[in-house]
Amino acid sequence: MSQSKGLPSSLDVILHEIPGVRMTPKEGRRIRVDSTPDSLPALLELLKGRMGFMHLSAISCVDWPETDEFELVYHVWSHERKSLVSAHVSIARDPGRFVSVYDIHTPAGFYERDIHEMFGVVFVGSPNLRKFILTSWDGPPPMLKSFDTLQYVNDTYAWVDYRPEWLRDIQGKGGGIVS
Amino acid sequence: MRPENYNPVQHPPSHEYELYFGPNHPGIEGNYAIRVRLNGDLIQEAITDGGYLHRGFEKLMEQRLWIQNIALVPRICVPDPVPMEEAYARAVEALGGLEVPERAQWIRAMMLEMSRICAHLFTFGGNAATIGLYTNMFWGITMRDLFLDIFEEITGARIYHMYITPGGVRRDLPAGALDRLETVIEELERRTPEFEDLFFDSAVVIKRARGVGVISLENALAWGVTGPNLRASGMPSDVRRDDPYLVYPDIEFDVPTEIEGDALARLRVRQAEVTQSVRILRQVIERLRMIEGPVRCPLPNPLAWNIPAGEAYTRVESSKGEVGFFAVSDGGPKPYRVHVRGPSQMHAVQVLERVLKGSRLEDIAQIMFSLDACPPEVDR
Repeated sequence: MSQSKGLPSSLDVILHEIPGVRMTPKEGRRIRVDSTPDSLPALLELLKGRMGFMHLSAISCVDWPETDEFELVYHVWSHERKSLVSAHVSIARDPGRFVSVYDIHTPAGFYERDIHEMFGVVFVGSPNLRKFILTSWDGPPPMLKSFDTLQYVNDTYAWVDYRPEWLRDIQGKGGGIVS
Repeated sequence: MRPENYNPVQHPPSHEYELYFGPNHPGIEGNYAIRVRLNGDLIQEAITDGGYLHRGFEKLMEQRLWIQNIALVPRICVPDPVPMEEAYARAVEALGGLEVPERAQWIRAMMLEMSRICAHLFTFGGNAATIGLYTNMFWGITMRDLFLDIFEEITGARIYHMYITPGGVRRDLPAGALDRLETVIEELERRTPEFEDLFFDSAVVIKRARGVGVISLENALAWGVTGPNLRASGMPSDVRRDDPYLVYPDIEFDVPTEIEGDALARLRVRQAEVTQSVRILRQVIERLRMIEGPVRCPLPNPLAWNIPAGEAYTRVESSKGEVGFFAVSDGGPKPYRVHVRGPSQMHAVQVLERVLKGSRLEDIAQIMFSLDACPPEVDR
């Protein structure tokens, strides 16, 4: 797939206005932009206002315990330029707070709520961070790398030996489940 | 004459009450609920309540090998599973630098369009049922079943095909599959006028769908609406054309739009899309008859397959809108992180809440079905 013609250079001009922002063109209409946390709202605002990146496709969160950081990735698409900018920003895991971009992109409301629920990141200014999926869950945010699902199951539930009658019949004839 | 003991409850002139719509309700799509605050039958506020179908796919995917996740991804969207397979496979291909053989690309496009037709027929059926037109539902589901037979013949499964794998597809088409698909397409075309007479020319459909759940183009763009719902508001946006993948640049098709942005416009866009998908399928069948070759590129041992570190964001146009997969690899045998963006995450939550406000109680089901909201996509 071809790279959108002339986009990286015009994007460069805009990005020069914001401190701490670095751009890396990638294959297939994709551009990676690394930003500092302070510059991200201004970056999204400029991309939307001046370059037409008005569709917030998604906000992804990645947990990096080694560096003690959350990586937030804002994927914005421009209907005019037919390009996708993925803006990466790293925030400290503790306290795990970041500013909401709901005022710039309305869809951020859902993604921020989802990330808050699954990773525990607090988005200051987000309109609704109430639980949505895990309403009856009071454990730690489950998408954190530190949350071990097997450990949770072992701690919460008792293992039961599964030996139904039909299986005993088969085992009596020398068959069974291969473990 | 009223009986002497007739003593009805005296309501205040205006009173509000709350109604829990779903998760177990014939008018709701999937396992989902909406808490509505009503004044009479006018909706003052709607709060969506999901999570009934949460299976933790994103967490599960981090614990399975790259190749094992093929079995998980189609389950993210029940009525339209193929775009999920395609988006995941393409993310792995982008990370692993795999080149999909040409024949496999055409086969994948065929599967995607068949899935789109199935999903739209399902939606017509569901939508008709919400306004009491059960004959349409039976016809739509019957027609969809003929496509499911083809899916079963090609992949061995009717719904969750697990057919598109990183690097191509699982196996080549069985002999005669294209002929049988052509027969099904002809049958679809034969039945379409009758279906349209019964559905789109029905006074009930027009009365219940026109002017209902209107989304203006401005709002659609601001709220993150995608796919047929965005096109029904007048925006000719389609991932297949704007951010092309597979062989779509070589295929001729139109992107149908409407301008009204109401439930009827959303249905009409889907109706036109079925016609376009048939047009695409005919071109794909013609090409597949000419193209020979492998259907999958050589893969390393899938049980010891380390994908190079990096990240990829892939987008696919599903019957409901834009599907996005963000995959991160740390160079290991399992994904470090996979984030799934389903179109219904917008349509079934923020958009639905906004559109329902000011609508009427009897239109909830119609609006939800016309938005083609898919709760499993929201919950993941």
